Amino acid sequence: MKIERKSWTDPVLIGSVTPLAAVMLFFFVIPLVMTTVLTFQTTQYYRLAWTWDLTIWTEIFSKPHYWTIMLRTVSMALICVVLSVLIAYPCAYALATRLKTYSTQIQILIIFAFLTDAVLKTFGWILVLDNNGVLNWLLAKVGFPPETLNLLYTPTATMIGMLYNLAVYPMFTIYLSLMRIDRDLILASYDAGASRLRTFFEVTLPLSKPGLYSGAVLVFVLSLGAFLEPRVLGGGTSPMASELIRQSFETRVNWPLGAALTIVLIVIGALTLAAFGFFTLRRKATKGGAA
Amino acid sequence: MTKRIAGNGPVMGELNRRTMLKGMGGLGIAAAAGGFPQGAFASESLNYMCWEGYNAPSILEPFQKRNDATVSIDLITDSAGGFAKLAAGAYREFDLVSSDSPWIQRMGPAGFCRFIDDNDFAKQYSDFYPQFRAPFEPLQFDGKATGLPTRWGWVGPTVNTKFDKLETWSSYAPVFDAAYKDKICLLDWGDWPIMPLVLYAGINPYEELDQAALDEVRTVLRAAFKNTRAIVGDLAVAQKGLLDGSFRALIGGGTYCTSSLRLKGHDYIQSIVPDPKDGLKQGIIWMEATGLIDNGKDSKVAADFLKYIVSPAVAKELAITDATCNLVPNQKAEALFSDAEKSALQMDYMWTAWDNSQFHTVAPNIDDMLAIWQEELAAR
Repeated sequence: MKIERKSWTDPVLIGSVTPLAAVMLFFFVIPLVMTTVLTFQTTQYYRLAWTWDLTIWTEIFSKPHYWTIMLRTVSMALICVVLSVLIAYPCAYALATRLKTYSTQIQILIIFAFLTDAVLKTFGWILVLDNNGVLNWLLAKVGFPPETLNLLYTPTATMIGMLYNLAVYPMFTIYLSLMRIDRDLILASYDAGASRLRTFFEVTLPLSKPGLYSGAVLVFVLSLGAFLEPRVLGGGTSPMASELIRQSFETRVNWPLGAALTIVLIVIGALTLAAFGFFTLRRKATKGGAA
Repeated sequence: MTKRIAGNGPVMGELNRRTMLKGMGGLGIAAAAGGFPQGAFASESLNYMCWEGYNAPSILEPFQKRNDATVSIDLITDSAGGFAKLAAGAYREFDLVSSDSPWIQRMGPAGFCRFIDDNDFAKQYSDFYPQFRAPFEPLQFDGKATGLPTRWGWVGPTVNTKFDKLETWSSYAPVFDAAYKDKICLLDWGDWPIMPLVLYAGINPYEELDQAALDEVRTVLRAAFKNTRAIVGDLAVAQKGLLDGSFRALIGGGTYCTSSLRLKGHDYIQSIVPDPKDGLKQGIIWMEATGLIDNGKDSKVAADFLKYIVSPAVAKELAITDATCNLVPNQKAEALFSDAEKSALQMDYMWTAWDNSQFHTVAPNIDDMLAIWQEELAAR
């Protein structure tokens, strides 16, 4: 296929790009610039003072607790990505290969669960994870002592909530990737004598990587902003970045600090994704070179 | 202060898809019926920023009908945030605000308070308990009144007496006792959970603190976090834990999270004020107030609304809401409460609590203390 190069002055190109560029400018770039500008101000008696100094940035870089929370957030997000993919892949695989007859019905059920309000779902988990909740009740029924699990208000409960709310994203992206795989390639692998396992690792998995990566990125980005789960299920004792930002804006009424922490979180997220992209590309290039 | 109440429904002045569609349907029917009747449009509208409870239709509708006015509500979930919004310029849009008293008082120095003349409100003051009559110091700025008190209560340990004796909580010591590990719930309501713990450390948080005092604040918060099972912002979650015994005490909530439970029959739930420690009163009195905003309109209807909101009948409505039940400063309203309501509000204990409490104001070092809270929580 021949790719036709177009000049940036091409009116057709400008016309087609302008709407998206305008949307991005008004709803992303300008708010981001305003947020950045806010970080160079201070608050005095709960009112914004236009001071143009580095007070807030000095505070952020001199207080380790901000970075402790950021590190905790990134760690939780990465764990959530790994677990989400581990949960989502088999589900998506089963949906695409073994449960084709019921795939529409199952997808509808998943979409219903997905569209249910996250606040409702997260609070619902309290009834399951509480010391005298459904989970411990079930365990007691099968012979475990009362209140065997003490999950509520722990980081584990936070992770369960995050997985419940987010694992559906990679489930769908992986499912879509799997559905696009040419069945003939898999049959060719079998014809060439490959086992099911080898076919999966050498044909199916590599070809489903686009869905896996996009799902992982979605989970990572959304996990960085996880707010409800650490607050409601985690009991607020292991706060993540969103809670820190909320406290800064709402409780401390320190908008410059909240804005600066927001920028820090965005930069950390962008850098992590860039590093992921860089290593993925380098690995691909190395493999390509070796071939 | 941030108070979280579960189950907030749509409020007046709040638009969502459903109310929008309902409204459009209503407009269609009205148009089909031959236009709008005379007087369907109110002659004056008030913009009112307030806490949940002040927006009850049973409170707003009679006033709107009587004054041919529309009251549009902007609900706040934290007083500091509400104040910040007003200070950022929104004061031009609002006529009244009901918030925690320190933030009403702060409207004075902030320059957007429409001060009230105590003489114009002499009738209202005369209905109040003597403790709240003019000149009411907590709401004064520069010798002028910034608003009128509307609801109040106290902050102390909230205890389930099925599990603990009240005497156990005559001090905050159990918060730091290993026997209560993972049994303590701190309410995530801004500075509310910090102040009692600081008082227990022997420091008055409402005075200017030096570095040594702030170090002590850090020590006491660190110790409290060791026993804390959860820091909960949602009232319903905190109440559930207290009822089933997974939380043995709620710290930083007080009567705000007690009375509604007591009214529903859980009269074994009580909020008390610990005994003074080394001469320092350990309880905290919180108060909500309503003030007029200087938006240039000098609205008479707004002033009338202020008189209306503190009147005995409305005060009673304001005291008993679906989500919370709170005391009101109006003495005449007391006769309107049933015995069950009086018991729910712990009226027999209110002046004991008053006498053993500090009055909640904006602490000079509040941001330092909130920063320490964040730091110690991160390090936990």
